[in-house]
Amino acid sequence: MTKEEIIASGLLELYVTGSLTAQEIETVEDAIKRDPSLVDEIETIEASFIHLSETVGTPVSETNWHRIKAEIKRIRPLHSSQSDIGRNWGAMTGWAAAILCFAGVFWMIKQNNDLRQDLRHSNTQNSILKETVESNGVEFAEVTSLLNMIRSKDFKAINLPGNVSVSPTAYATVYFNEKTMEAYIDAKGLPVPPEGKVYQVWSLKMDPLTPRSIGLLESFAATESKFFKIENIPTPEAFGITLEPEGGSESPSLDQLYTLGTVTP
Amino acid sequence: MKQPDDLIKQMQDGDEKAFSSLYHMYCNAIQGVILSIVREQETAEEVLQDVFVKVWTRRQSYQVGKGRFYTWLLNIARNTAIDKTRSKAYKNANKNLSPENFVNIIVARDDVSSKMDTIGIKKFIASLQPICIELIDLLYFKGFTQAETAKNLDTPLGTIKTRARNCMKQLRKIVLDK
Repeated sequence: MTKEEIIASGLLELYVTGSLTAQEIETVEDAIKRDPSLVDEIETIEASFIHLSETVGTPVSETNWHRIKAEIKRIRPLHSSQSDIGRNWGAMTGWAAAILCFAGVFWMIKQNNDLRQDLRHSNTQNSILKETVESNGVEFAEVTSLLNMIRSKDFKAINLPGNVSVSPTAYATVYFNEKTMEAYIDAKGLPVPPEGKVYQVWSLKMDPLTPRSIGLLESFAATESKFFKIENIPTPEAFGITLEPEGGSESPSLDQLYTLGTVTP
Repeated sequence: MKQPDDLIKQMQDGDEKAFSSLYHMYCNAIQGVILSIVREQETAEEVLQDVFVKVWTRRQSYQVGKGRFYTWLLNIARNTAIDKTRSKAYKNANKNLSPENFVNIIVARDDVSSKMDTIGIKKFIASLQPICIELIDLLYFKGFTQAETAKNLDTPLGTIKTRARNCMKQLRKIVLDK
């Protein structure tokens, strides 16, 4: 078909209204390719329709455009729903971090309290240990000074073997200082006296046999070292230890003589 | 009117400014087409919004060089408007609307705010043959196929194109003075 034939056929009008069959559209488009000036005719037809339509409608308010714009803006985030999920992940991570942070803070508070308690306990232990060390130190000093004293040449060691008839396994040692008339009794070898009884130490003159009480080994069970100091001893020839009723006796109960030893010159 | 191929391509690349230009170029004509189908101003505006949202989302489906961009717009507009008239809400609200064509709408309009020379158009309408009014209404505004139009007008299918040509000659003379 020539250009004029195409124009006269009415195909172009129906091309614009969209009423042609696929085959007819092809005919028109082939003709346009051959003669692009056909587009002018098409555009005139289109302009007529546009003018007619504009007459039918009232001028469109700008509100419609704003609504369309808002709508296509709303569509876009829907398309990129990935980013929504991303934001959700962000929020979730945030919450998780906050929860972890809280848990961490609580854990640290608990740790802190535990540590404080431990510290208090340690302080207590420490002061107990300190006291122990102090008392040990005092004890050690006492023992050392005692040991130094009895080792000195001024002190004489007198063994008091057990009385076979009363207590064969018992024994005692008297460290005696003639110059100061002091003595230390090592009573480690004596059994603990029964309740209501106490050991009494005697200094003895042999001829005639004159016993003199020089002291009681009081608080025997409580005294760890079993060392007892006795002063103001009258010149003795022998030492004896008897078991007497609490408070001691005027004269020794010889049937309760546990140990006896003589001072050798 | 030259088809703005550059703007169309820019819009297809996601350029909202180009889309805005195209919208403002065609919105009044498209709204006229929609109004001739839904016959109710508020609904027509609603459909117009739907149409251009569809234009944006389906912008890739138009191929420059394959048919007119305006024809592509027309198809979306007519289909969306017809879908609207089929909806239950539309049917319930517009039970009493009498069937109208574009001429009835123009004649009924008494506002002079339209940018078109309504008085001149009215004059033209009076001189347009009734067959042309029906033909343009069915082919252009309602989007009937040639066969449907022929059947509706009770004329042979072969005469539709030439009738359309003759009717358009009259139309062009009035609206474009060509």
